[in-house]
Amino acid sequence: MTISRRAFMRAGGLALISLGADPIFLDRAAYALQSAGPLASGQKTLVCLFQRGAVDGLSMIVPTGDPWYWQERQRIALPREQLIPLDGMFALHPRLAPLKPLWDQHSLAVVHAVGSPSTTRSHFDAQDYMESGTPDVKNTPDGWANRYCAHAAEHANTPFRAVAFGPQLPRTLAGTSPSLAIDDLRTFGMRAAQASGEQKLTRAFEELYQGAATGLIASSSAESFEAIKMLKTANPTAMAPANGAAYGKNRLATSLQQIAQLIKADLGVQIAFVDVGGWDTHVNQGADQGQLAARLDELAGALAAFTTDLGDRMRDVAVITMSEFGRTVKENGTSGTDHGHGTAMMIMGGNVRGGRVYGRWPGLAPDQRYEGRDLAITTDFRSVFSDVLQGHLGPANLSQVFPGFEQTARIGMFG
Amino acid sequence: MKPHISGLGLALLIAGRLPAQHPMTSIDSARHVLNRLAYGATPGEIETVAREGVLKWVDRQLGYSDLRDPALADAERSFEVLHVSMSDMQAMLQNNQAKAARAQAAGDTLARRQMLDQLRVEQAGDRRSLQNLIAQLQSVTIVRATESDRQLDEVLADFWINHFNVFINKGQDRAYFGDYLETTIRGHALGKFADLLIATAKSPAMLFYLDNAESVANGTDARAAQLGRGRGGIAVRPVFGGIRGRFPNPRAGTYPPDPVAMARAQQAAQRAPRGLNENYARELMELHTLGVDGGYTQQDVINVARILTGWSIDRRNASYIFREQVHDDLPKVVLGQNFPGGHGEDEGMRLLKLLANSPATMHHVSAQLCSRLVSDVAPDGCIDDAVRAWKKSGGEIREVVRAIVRSPDFWAAVNVQSKVKTPLEFVVSAVRAVNGVPDSTPRVAQRVAQLGEPLFQKQTPDGYGERQEDWVNSGALLARMNFAVQLASGRMPGLAVDLDRVVPVTDDHVALVSGVDKAVLGGAMSQQTRQTILKELADVPDPRMARALAVGLALGGPEFQRQ
Repeated sequence: MTISRRAFMRAGGLALISLGADPIFLDRAAYALQSAGPLASGQKTLVCLFQRGAVDGLSMIVPTGDPWYWQERQRIALPREQLIPLDGMFALHPRLAPLKPLWDQHSLAVVHAVGSPSTTRSHFDAQDYMESGTPDVKNTPDGWANRYCAHAAEHANTPFRAVAFGPQLPRTLAGTSPSLAIDDLRTFGMRAAQASGEQKLTRAFEELYQGAATGLIASSSAESFEAIKMLKTANPTAMAPANGAAYGKNRLATSLQQIAQLIKADLGVQIAFVDVGGWDTHVNQGADQGQLAARLDELAGALAAFTTDLGDRMRDVAVITMSEFGRTVKENGTSGTDHGHGTAMMIMGGNVRGGRVYGRWPGLAPDQRYEGRDLAITTDFRSVFSDVLQGHLGPANLSQVFPGFEQTARIGMFG
Repeated sequence: MKPHISGLGLALLIAGRLPAQHPMTSIDSARHVLNRLAYGATPGEIETVAREGVLKWVDRQLGYSDLRDPALADAERSFEVLHVSMSDMQAMLQNNQAKAARAQAAGDTLARRQMLDQLRVEQAGDRRSLQNLIAQLQSVTIVRATESDRQLDEVLADFWINHFNVFINKGQDRAYFGDYLETTIRGHALGKFADLLIATAKSPAMLFYLDNAESVANGTDARAAQLGRGRGGIAVRPVFGGIRGRFPNPRAGTYPPDPVAMARAQQAAQRAPRGLNENYARELMELHTLGVDGGYTQQDVINVARILTGWSIDRRNASYIFREQVHDDLPKVVLGQNFPGGHGEDEGMRLLKLLANSPATMHHVSAQLCSRLVSDVAPDGCIDDAVRAWKKSGGEIREVVRAIVRSPDFWAAVNVQSKVKTPLEFVVSAVRAVNGVPDSTPRVAQRVAQLGEPLFQKQTPDGYGERQEDWVNSGALLARMNFAVQLASGRMPGLAVDLDRVVPVTDDHVALVSGVDKAVLGGAMSQQTRQTILKELADVPDPRMARALAVGLALGGPEFQRQ
């Protein structure tokens, strides 16, 4: 079933498509300019962390209680004594140890055997489907998070409402609702030889655009300058990590630190997006040491620093990890794993009912696997996203956010 | 210079096809044409084209039989990638993959990291390394877009490379893309659409990108196909002994197992064709020809995929090959047409011609051309004019473009200065506006990437978008402003900019701003912009700095974002 691009535009695009009509965010920008001060706290934030490359969920959240795990991974199974038990059935990869306290405090939940119903094993296609929120539909022009922003009942009116950290706007945030791509918060804005030059240029361009810009350019540029002003006033990059949080020196940690800074500065971040690669472990995946372990080490370190940094504010911030699919149950001939199907997602923060692994465990026996080789999927990723959106951010028009998806029962991770 | 009404404007007005409005001057017409059918004007070019006559310029641009501007022959010589064959590129790629596999397999993390670092350094330093050759494809595209006199041809080449998008970084496409760009796309960009379509269908780049090379008739014995009975299968090259041209069994062979050989075996096993792959069939109809509303069904997609089984790649020499042994030879029906069985490769050719000549295709592709050249939302009249020309000329792209340019919609006031430049268009037009000269390094291409359009790196088959919504966001606009300021300062690596060639230094700010308006904005500067720039110049005593500031503000300002 394909959903025509035109139908989407009709539903969500509205005035933006017609030339000359002032888009709705001109009003938004005007509102933002009026409310010059920082917003009241209580703004809920959802941070989406995309693990690009198909992460091996079976290594992140290890099904120790399933004998086939041990049977099929003679070389890359985690050593029993190193695993960190979560409950009777599952254990945490040793490098994810920094997240154990969150689990104990019931602030970390896991959904296992989760993924997309699409049969594709292409990274590109699968990421596309997960970001657009429409598996097997290739011509969806926007991302699920953008559709959420476009249809959400109440929303913050700042340029930082939807922020992605990276050089380009990811598919997840592409669409008619305004989003901001920030490569590095420290260098966001006009650049000139001296600071005084920056101020002059910023003012000059702002006046140029106010004077002569029209349509979408006018509203987007107004957002840019508003964003610069707000950053100047709030000065988030000067905020040191709180509560002894120690961020590593990698890109993920830096991005999360900057997201935390934006949140602490009350800049109205509702959706933040960050991605990290390196999960495509076909060869020499390793176990407690090696490629995957190194990536998990970085991930856990960054997430732990982030949650520590935010401290009490974590009641208003939820983080969700996702990946386009999982990896094969059986290790391959090069001590790695190949493209699979189901994987694991982690959800932390907010009022998540953590300390639990959600989802029905399908089992790893050969006749229980997807196509005889992969962890099957018993929970659609859209169920998880829906649950997080509604449970954490607030009521959402889910049929618009995930068109064509019938949610059978709410998972109920939040409450 | 006294503006005079362009002959075209008058003609259209008299013919009653131009909405009642102030007719465009020849300067306005020239500016519009250079904005849409070229990558913007170089200083003084608007006057030159106005003098030549806008329609004469268009006809001249459409009259070239070859996209290559002979004046660029020298500049193009420094791009080695233009002279490397696909099979050489493929060999380099395989070599790199083997090296990388060896490095990955090194159990010790330190040794592995060292080997990978060393590989990276080697690749970066060697101008003929695969990585650098690929970067050259981006750079030469920038050079051509900036410097070629055959501007409309360059614009159309960009249009087609997006219409028939291939992601350069997908596996083997790194080896196939150069030839795809030069021979397949640029070699067919102005001729008959059917020829271009068939060329893409047979290109290793597209066959690999959309997986048709691996699509085999359901029920085919994949191993038999791999054994290459008859015409050369997807043979695994003998590597490190032990594995020769057969479907490799990772557990056989030497002991302890050679990790590199096993990695290759694993990759080959993953690539083993399992059956029909519908990817290309779907995109062929949805994106390349009929369009998503073109009236095809899922069954049509399946049957097109069946027709195209066997259209594949001969890895031995990186070329197209038809593999009869995996072709589905049974009868099919596509779009109501009978394709009786037993016609091998011919039925694929017949299908492609059918698609190329379908009214839905004419409409869909014309609409996309109109969207590129006239307005984000293609005006119906424009599409109709294009389709009429398509029918009349048998799908000659030149004639379709000519009809679009002569269509009243092209000249309607509402469609002038109305589109937003893509990052490529913005960067190239900014460089042209200051007579900048890009060198053969990837620097300028990297700036285009930074603005959101890394050339040839769109992963999804729809290619880069053409509408303002695809490109306008607050972060991107800031990046453009920064680019403009840096460009005007003359301190952009990879680019030689001498503002003396653009507008003379002067203490008279009013004259300076007028000069910048004429040279850089083609006279399109608004009053507000003029006032703002003059105001900003007030506290800049140094005339060279004032000039750089004026040019930077003009290039980064709102008018220059539009075309």
